[in-house]
Amino acid sequence: MIEQGQTTAIELSVNGHRHRLRLEARRSLLDALRIDLGLTGTKQVCNMGNCGSCTVLIDDQPVYSCLTLAIECVDKQIRTIEGLNENGTLHPLQQAFIEHDALQCGFCTPGQVMAACGLLARNPHPSEAEVVEGMSGNLCRCGAYRGIVQAVLAVSAEG
Amino acid sequence: MKNFTHIDAQSIEHTIPLLDYYARPLAGGTDLIPLMREGVWQPDRLVNLKPLADLHFLREAGDGLHIGALTTLDELDRSPLVRERYQALAEAAHSAASPQLRNMATLGGNLLQQVRCWYYRGPFNCWMKGGDHCPARSGENEHHAVFDQSPCVAVYPSDPPAALITLDASIRIVGPDGARSVKVADFLAPPDELHRVMHGLGLNELITEIVVPHTTARSLYLKAMDRAVWAYALVSVAVAGEVANGTITNPRIVLGAVANVPVRLGAVEALIDGQLLTDELIKEAGTMATHGMEPLAHNHYKLPLARNLVRQALRDLTGQRM
Amino acid sequence: MPKLIKSEINVEGRITEEYAVVDGDELAAWGENEELAIVGQPAPRIDGAAKTTGEARFSYDVQLPGMLYAKVLRSPHPNARVLRVDASRAEQLPGVVVVLTHETAPDIKVREGKLPLLPEDARFAGELVAAVAATDPDIAADALALIEVEYETLPFITDFTLALEGSAPKVRPNGNVVSQPSVTERGDLKAGLAVADVRVELTVRTPTAVHNALETHGCVAAWEGDQLTMYESSQHVYGVRTFAAKKLGLPVSKVRAIGTYMGGGFGAKFPGQPYSMVAATLAKRSRRPVHLMYDREGENLESGYRGASVQHVKLGAKRDGSLTAIELDGLTECGSYANWVVSLGGPYAMMYTCPNVKLTTTGVHTNIGPFQAFRAPGFVEGMVGLEQGMDLLAEKLGMDPLELRRRNLAKLDQSEDKPFSSFPVEECYRRGAEAIGWNKRKPTNDQSRSSERLRRGTGMASQIWWGGGGPPAYAEVQLNGDGTATVLTGAQDLGTGARTIFAQVAAEELGLELGSVGVTIGDTYAGPFGPASGGSVTTGSMTPAVRSAANDLRVQLCSIVAQLEDVPEEELEVRGGTVYRRDTPVSSVKSIMRKLGDVMLIGKGSRGPNPSDVSVVTSGAQFAEVEVDTVTGRVRVIKIVAAHDSGRIVNPQTFTSQIQGGIIQGLGLALTEQRVIDHRAGQILNPNLEWYKLPTVADIPEIVNLLIDIPDTKANSLGSKGAGEPGIIPTAAAIANAVANALGVRIFELPITPARVLEALETIA
Ligand SMILES: Cc1cc2nc3c(=O)[nH]c(=O)nc-3n(C[C@H](O)[C@H](O)[C@H](O)COP(=O)(O)OP(=O)(O)OC[C@H]3O[C@@H](n4cnc5c(N)ncnc54)[C@H](O)[C@@H]3O)c2cc1C
Ligand code: SF4
Ligand code: FES
Ligand code: FES
Repeated sequence: MIEQGQTTAIELSVNGHRHRLRLEARRSLLDALRIDLGLTGTKQVCNMGNCGSCTVLIDDQPVYSCLTLAIECVDKQIRTIEGLNENGTLHPLQQAFIEHDALQCGFCTPGQVMAACGLLARNPHPSEAEVVEGMSGNLCRCGAYRGIVQAVLAVSAEG
Repeated sequence: MKNFTHIDAQSIEHTIPLLDYYARPLAGGTDLIPLMREGVWQPDRLVNLKPLADLHFLREAGDGLHIGALTTLDELDRSPLVRERYQALAEAAHSAASPQLRNMATLGGNLLQQVRCWYYRGPFNCWMKGGDHCPARSGENEHHAVFDQSPCVAVYPSDPPAALITLDASIRIVGPDGARSVKVADFLAPPDELHRVMHGLGLNELITEIVVPHTTARSLYLKAMDRAVWAYALVSVAVAGEVANGTITNPRIVLGAVANVPVRLGAVEALIDGQLLTDELIKEAGTMATHGMEPLAHNHYKLPLARNLVRQALRDLTGQRM
Repeated sequence: MPKLIKSEINVEGRITEEYAVVDGDELAAWGENEELAIVGQPAPRIDGAAKTTGEARFSYDVQLPGMLYAKVLRSPHPNARVLRVDASRAEQLPGVVVVLTHETAPDIKVREGKLPLLPEDARFAGELVAAVAATDPDIAADALALIEVEYETLPFITDFTLALEGSAPKVRPNGNVVSQPSVTERGDLKAGLAVADVRVELTVRTPTAVHNALETHGCVAAWEGDQLTMYESSQHVYGVRTFAAKKLGLPVSKVRAIGTYMGGGFGAKFPGQPYSMVAATLAKRSRRPVHLMYDREGENLESGYRGASVQHVKLGAKRDGSLTAIELDGLTECGSYANWVVSLGGPYAMMYTCPNVKLTTTGVHTNIGPFQAFRAPGFVEGMVGLEQGMDLLAEKLGMDPLELRRRNLAKLDQSEDKPFSSFPVEECYRRGAEAIGWNKRKPTNDQSRSSERLRRGTGMASQIWWGGGGPPAYAEVQLNGDGTATVLTGAQDLGTGARTIFAQVAAEELGLELGSVGVTIGDTYAGPFGPASGGSVTTGSMTPAVRSAANDLRVQLCSIVAQLEDVPEEELEVRGGTVYRRDTPVSSVKSIMRKLGDVMLIGKGSRGPNPSDVSVVTSGAQFAEVEVDTVTGRVRVIKIVAAHDSGRIVNPQTFTSQIQGGIIQGLGLALTEQRVIDHRAGQILNPNLEWYKLPTVADIPEIVNLLIDIPDTKANSLGSKGAGEPGIIPTAAAIANAVANALGVRIFELPITPARVLEALETIA
């Protein structure tokens, strides 16, 4: 239990690393990642579940970190964009996004890549319709959608 | 978002006494968190239900399908069992929100989703929020009700419940006085002066499970949206019935997004029950579906839309794809 | 020798004349058949890895030691006077460092230098009233709730179609008309209408469309002594510097503006908006860096939009289709502050030959936040009116709509009586029509009787826009000790791929491999002046400057090699990273530079003047195929074929992305996007991404982007023009025409929602 207005110390496992942090109950996972842990790859755009830019994986499932309370993520495996190329080489999805020009300004991109990652984890060889469906929780205002679909399909074809 | 106390639920029994107006249960959080961010609700305490494994299951028993309240919309959408036997429910769950939201959103929470009316969610102290009038009634009401059921003209926003009503589902509720069971169709009710929500859950009650009786009926869910995905229904329809040689029996038809609650079309059901679904009959059914609708200034389109969707649903149900 | 000239600066259609210093001896343009190794080839974005890994640091991501988070309090009333602000409780909240109200704000005038930073008169719901900087964003938000404000509410008007009525409250002291209506007139309209054999009249409405770039407006301001650094999400990094220096009375040398990555602008992120001065002030007072980024609601309330329009249009033509008259009487919504009005008349004036034209656009003030340029402002809306009129005219004449356009296509720039430098619209029509299968298009009149559930239709629309760019624009290219080169300029990349094409141009001109050219942009301390990125000018303005700098560097390199290796300089040439004497390799650039140790060669370049005898425009056409579901009323776009002239295409891959992006925003305007306002309350009902509906991945059609790729050798030394606006200009018009073709009934108001389709179908049932 965390009392109103109090902070509590918790441990979060992000990209396989354990982090200790103190926070209030109202802290979203998104803010905890960005503000408390300095992992700014994950973006906030709407803070209301309307855009997908804050997508991270929790236990391999893509979710919106803006609607997730950080304290409810203790004992869960959180994966963010920073965790995809930890060994220094780009993840195939990152490579494919670049090759298919699946980005313009790049602000939605981390969320898109994580959504794609979640999609492929569950369905390694999606059809085009399944890719569209799986990526439909991520808005891109620049309109990089065609490239995004192609990039995800390309990775699914490789794998 | 205002600060709050966060408590992890230990058991249903432990949770019930904690609940009141200021202490709300939290499931997926996809509605509660936005409501709190918007300042519409400001509870002091949240009781996190997610640790309650006994609310998280999906299984078939002798009397039908049992769905734990914490079952996510995604789990419903992907369950082969639901997809095969309770198609309308799978389709309704699938049509809701976005993949990420479906991973988070629970069926229990979905039943209790607050109206998405943009006045309610915006800086208006409207009737539903305790004020004394409804600005939508004479305002921007293109997404509002065509049946006048209460001082509020918001539509019930969730998709799966219309399917649940078509499938004659019930809800199990646990409160301080024990458990009770209520049909979804009765659970959802238009708000009134003293009770400004669209459901009948007490402040110290929990939904524990949803039970869908066995059925041999075919069912489906159609949802019209103003973009391809990730939008609330403009109008939706859930239908179920037994179909043999073009004849339908025991039809159940429920319209969504036309009123404070999903609306069951009893007269249309009576019209077609036991009948051969000819093109004329289907047309008549569609026309009859709009009886009693009183559109507001900006939602006349819901009449042809409801009419068309009912017709289309009956055609699809009987395999007369067009 | 540098040359001083007067240059026309065109930012999103706002034209001003300013001085520019340009290269006296500009490079000759690369010819149509120039053999280029890198320019013209698809190349993946050089910042792709930074953006896909989350390492690209946007303003929003900047975190500095001791940084505070700021939040702003906004007026809840559409028109109100702030009588009293009591921030004492907020100030006492632990963690709150500074609170700014109109009483404590510095004397900085904003909104074209006329209004206080935190005005006492809030002219729209969402206007800034106070700001708080605190150690945590949650604390800042808590503090806002503790600020008590007493308002005197005043009458307001938010409906621009009613704001010109005599009884409407005045938004600004001078009334609700923004400056003078813009009027374009040539010939004699009345006579033109009189001689017409056929006339059509229509009224078209377009909605308020919000940019909703995913990164909101905002900045991080940090002082070190008397030096200010502004990390701002901006379309003009150098403009951020100029604005801050001017408002704060600092020498420009003391202001560093940084915008390395920015999450979308689309016209709304030009400098000069109040928040940057709020952030700078909070940072100054707290002596700590301050992060002030708007939330989505603030973005929607304050940060701009494409104003809604109403266009009354009359067209007249002879039997053979030749236009005799075009009349436009248009209104456009401008909100509470505006010092210019978009030109709805642009396309009507420029696209087709017509001797008698009268085009009026009246900008209207309302108690809504100010509009901002939005990707081809005025032209997108104008095309929706013009091109639907052209289709109606074609129907009346019994002529194919494409043929009607062919017959009328402009032969010169009629406003300046100058030929176009290049205007290959015929070619765009021909290739586009072929790709969409135009000859299979069914006549519109047949369709209303169809009983099919899914009805298909095809439509098209033309495009015209400027986009040639111009001076001033500067770049430097450095050759480093390891043989790699760095392009330096203060220009910015909004996601267009500017960084990448700068590298391509520099590599091409220098004779280096693309991989050995780096680009440092978006920092006024790192590179020379780059122009605002708006109006599709970045390519046309900047690439010639980069090329010129690279050329300067190459000349220096050859001279150095000549001295080093004792070879005649005139015989040297650099290709693929190697210096050749005629066809014999002399040495690689790398080993030459290694030999020279810490030597750095620095090339400088600037954009040359624009030609004075021709008018530089981009042009083209789009074709749309749609399918309308008569059960649900939803329009699905199946295919868009785009054919646009942007001169030489530097990078087909990023060019195609730009065009697709424009199309998708145009599709949103056509089908799903619209701001909804309750005019009784003066409140925007959908300042969010829930009810302001952007297209999703599932709404996207097949997009065929035909590469026209004709270098515009008269335009500049690259022969390239922009692609930011062209893609969006014809899309909504083409879709509207396709829907009309599918249904046999026309919907004159955008967006074409299911509600409107169903209502239209009811009228013909
Ligand atoms: C952007 C967006 C789009 C959406 N689109 C759709 C859509 O198209 N169709 C659709 O149907 N829905 C849609 N939703 C709504 C979403 O489906 C619901 O928010 C979700 O189902 C609620 O479940 P939850 O577990 O997240 O509930 P929570 O947010 O956790 O709770 C919702 C309410 O239910 C209460 N509650 C939760 N569980 C229980 C329980 N077991 N017993 C008692 N009370 C409980 C909470 O106290 C709260 O009042 C959308 C939501 C968002 C944010
Ligand atoms: S429809 Fe209901 S929720 Fe909406 S404004 Fe009216 S009372 Fe409030
Ligand atoms: S920021 Fe989480 S969905 Fe938009
Ligand atoms: S790349 Fe800019 S929002 Fe997607």
